[in-house]
Amino acid sequence: MTPLLKSPRGSDRHGFKKTHSWVVFCTLLGCFFVSSGCNKTPPASFRSNMIEATKQRLSQSQEKQVATVLLAMFGTPDNPVVLAETGLDLEKLTLCAGPVRSDIVGRKNGLYREHCAHCHGITGDAMGPTAAFLNPYPRDYRPGVFKFKSTERVEKPTHVDLVRILHNGIAGTSMPSFALLSETQIDALAEYVKYLSIRGETELSLMRAFFELDDDAKGILPETREFLIGEMLLPASEKWLAAKESQIPVPLISEGVDLVESIAKGKALFYGDKANCVKCHGVTGLGDGQANDYDDWNKPIVEIDKELRGTRERIKVTATASMSPEELAEHVALQDWVTKLSQVLDGDSLKPRTVVPRNLRHGVYRGGRRPLDLYYRIYAGINGAPMPAAKGAVSPEDIWHIVNYVRSLPYEFDGELGADRPLIARERF
Amino acid sequence: MVRPVHFICISAIVLGLAGGCGPSRISSPSADDAAAQQLRVMLGSTAASGNSSGDLTSAESTGTGWGSLSGRFVFTGTPPETKALVIDKDTEICSKDGRKSLDRSLLVDSSTKGLANVVLFVRKVSRVKEPSETVAASAAVFDQKWCEFLSPVFSAKVGQAVDVRNSDPIGHNTNISGSSFNQLIPAGQGTTYTPDRETGMPSMVICNIHPWMKAYVLFRKDGYAAISGTDGSFRIQNLPAEELLEFQVWHERSTGPNGSLGLEKPELKWTKKGRFQIKLVPDEEKNLGDIEVPAGVLGG
Repeated sequence: MTPLLKSPRGSDRHGFKKTHSWVVFCTLLGCFFVSSGCNKTPPASFRSNMIEATKQRLSQSQEKQVATVLLAMFGTPDNPVVLAETGLDLEKLTLCAGPVRSDIVGRKNGLYREHCAHCHGITGDAMGPTAAFLNPYPRDYRPGVFKFKSTERVEKPTHVDLVRILHNGIAGTSMPSFALLSETQIDALAEYVKYLSIRGETELSLMRAFFELDDDAKGILPETREFLIGEMLLPASEKWLAAKESQIPVPLISEGVDLVESIAKGKALFYGDKANCVKCHGVTGLGDGQANDYDDWNKPIVEIDKELRGTRERIKVTATASMSPEELAEHVALQDWVTKLSQVLDGDSLKPRTVVPRNLRHGVYRGGRRPLDLYYRIYAGINGAPMPAAKGAVSPEDIWHIVNYVRSLPYEFDGELGADRPLIARERF
Repeated sequence: MVRPVHFICISAIVLGLAGGCGPSRISSPSADDAAAQQLRVMLGSTAASGNSSGDLTSAESTGTGWGSLSGRFVFTGTPPETKALVIDKDTEICSKDGRKSLDRSLLVDSSTKGLANVVLFVRKVSRVKEPSETVAASAAVFDQKWCEFLSPVFSAKVGQAVDVRNSDPIGHNTNISGSSFNQLIPAGQGTTYTPDRETGMPSMVICNIHPWMKAYVLFRKDGYAAISGTDGSFRIQNLPAEELLEFQVWHERSTGPNGSLGLEKPELKWTKKGRFQIKLVPDEEKNLGDIEVPAGVLGG
């Protein structure tokens, strides 16, 4: 506190000289610059999956071991490294990695940071600075789960699937089209998404592997090729290489099928017990059926938050007075874990949102609007979302009928507009 | 006339803005650069490293005989009241004739105090006794009726065909978390699911159409797994004798890491990760007797 502030009321009303005011101003200006600092920005780094690390109750040295193994396997956001086993193309990754700049021949580098990182985050954890403002949230690549693809549900998308998403964007979301980029650039970005996804999935495997360790391993993962590559890296990377072979078979709809007839059949299936679309997409097709479910990205956050609350309640009521030293140490460790977890949830996750079944009367289809895209969605369901696969339960011909009905929904005339719809839906018109 | 206090206020605001007010994030652990360099060289070389096998779960092969392990989980303390679940959909089927679906996450038998649905499996074995043909041929059935999975906890072998059935007159979907299996099961029909890898711990199964439906599944390569019955008893047969077997114990409500049931059992060296070790002699029928599970290790 400067004495100036303490001067008695009225006594120095006009005594505050101009020079003094300048001194205060300059001092504060100086403080401002000191507080904002003049260091160079530190190099970009990948952020550990703190949610999983805390969930698995990893110690600091275990967190460090995971970070070290990942640095060895994947390098940094500025200098990516690839092992031959991943099948990734380092040249493509180099085009995307690092800060935005031009290389010696004037070619644009740092594409990921220029176009993707602000939403998907440097790490691909969907925690970029803009992520919190988007609905739906951007995709977190780390679990290795992708929704819109031409492959069987459990499989990864093909390279072409990723390229298509980059080209077209995702209608109805904040994901824009990158059609203005060159083919080479889009191709490179798709490769970089795979790189971040394989890295993220390997990280999850590493963090979960600590629990599986024997007690004599002393909480340290074996640093052998067999373990790190054979058991941690390959399960994540092999599936990307095999994606091409797991394309969904699409039989063509038989010729001579009357469209009106097909739509009627599709409608019967939509409302019937076999395909059961009505349960989530609603009687009206407005997506107002099931509404309190979460997808595979939000659900873990909801669950760990529940565990946090439960643990917090539990340790609150525990009497510490009669505890043995070991029990007390355990109690303190649990308290520390609760504190860390709540900090991690604050800083490393966004508020979970329920997943909304698609309103089929808008005619906006996130995974693409070609009839083929709708066929894929119905056949394999949507991986990561509650939408189940109709494969096996509904014949391919019937899936085509449902596709035709769904495509007719935005244009279906239902008598007086909206008359058969629930009140809440009618208010939207 | 600008007063000094104005200067100070404005400057304080500017300072505050410059400092930012975003949520403070826990710092991410930093890697050990030198160790990473070394590791990279090792990972990049195609020669196999000379260290021990990377497999986290492999056991030394010993002996030829077989034995069995049994016991009973007993809940100590006051068993909580079993709550009815809120059924708000398809009630004409799911709550037919006033039927109530109960929360089955903590089932204690009122007379014997037995704790049901505790899962116990062997972490690693060196050899497996081939099952008789009748067992091998029978498919495991995972059924649902009255909007409930009939097995709250279910186990099968990796590679065994699981008949996922729907005995309800309405459609369900069966969604096994972590497996990407999420399949429509039309009314009265079924589908086959063949697990292709082990689940470290039981995975949750849900039906998204009826969100109160919940069960757990465990898939193991060797099939040495048991689920305690309504009286809390369990039995695993044909375990390889003369080798140190490590068992993992799990319960849905357990507060331990990943649902592991940690108990105070120094005689079995029961760990906090819910594991204990036993060595059987050939033809031994080992009975662990009553294993007490205090209410404190099972959360809400």
